[in-house]
Amino acid sequence: MSVQKFRSLEEMNKAPAPELRGSDFERFLRHCARWWAIAPKHYPRGVFKFRSIEEAQAAREKYR
Amino acid sequence: MDRDEVIRVLRAFESAGLEYVLIGAAAMGFHGLVRTTEDLDLFIRATPENIEKLRTALHAVYEDPNINEISSNDLLGEYPALRYVPPTGDLYFDVMTRLGEIASFETVDAEIKEVDGAHVRVATPAALYRLKNGTVRPQDHLDAAALRERFSLKDEG
Repeated sequence: MSVQKFRSLEEMNKAPAPELRGSDFERFLRHCARWWAIAPKHYPRGVFKFRSIEEAQAAREKYR
Repeated sequence: MDRDEVIRVLRAFESAGLEYVLIGAAAMGFHGLVRTTEDLDLFIRATPENIEKLRTALHAVYEDPNINEISSNDLLGEYPALRYVPPTGDLYFDVMTRLGEIASFETVDAEIKEVDGAHVRVATPAALYRLKNGTVRPQDHLDAAALRERFSLKDEG
């Protein structure tokens, strides 16, 4: 079923979602891989240590 | 980092016998709530032996001398959180031995999931909800709402 046709948005919204390929985690990985390709980040490489999760989050914000 | 690299890391965790639980967006992905992220978040059991297993697993995937900077003295002492950004760089690892007084490896309920032959210890939806509910980060509020709706979770009194 590659193409579905609808007479209205309401009809389209009621239609069951197409079956997605792969497991949930595989979908997650594909989704992230697309995003990483579109918007690559440039974090410094290596090991960084933090006294708290808040400190770790603040460090991440510096590179957004 | 690509899909295969993530799978290699998860397999390496299993091969090394690392005691960990996956939390954060990757764990939500295992439960069908898919969003992008830049990190894999994990709690690890806080023992020197387990931290050695973490180094072993990462060395199995990355040729990176920086991995040797991951230290038991830090993770069991003043620095309970560390970030490792591998040479590939798109996605990094946030590794925690504890989260303030509220969570650690021992307190996060988990279940085993499988992806491409790798067995992964993933926080349950309820455990993820407890971690995310009540934090200040806006993304956590969104995640908590999605978990609550998908799994009909209720706040604990």
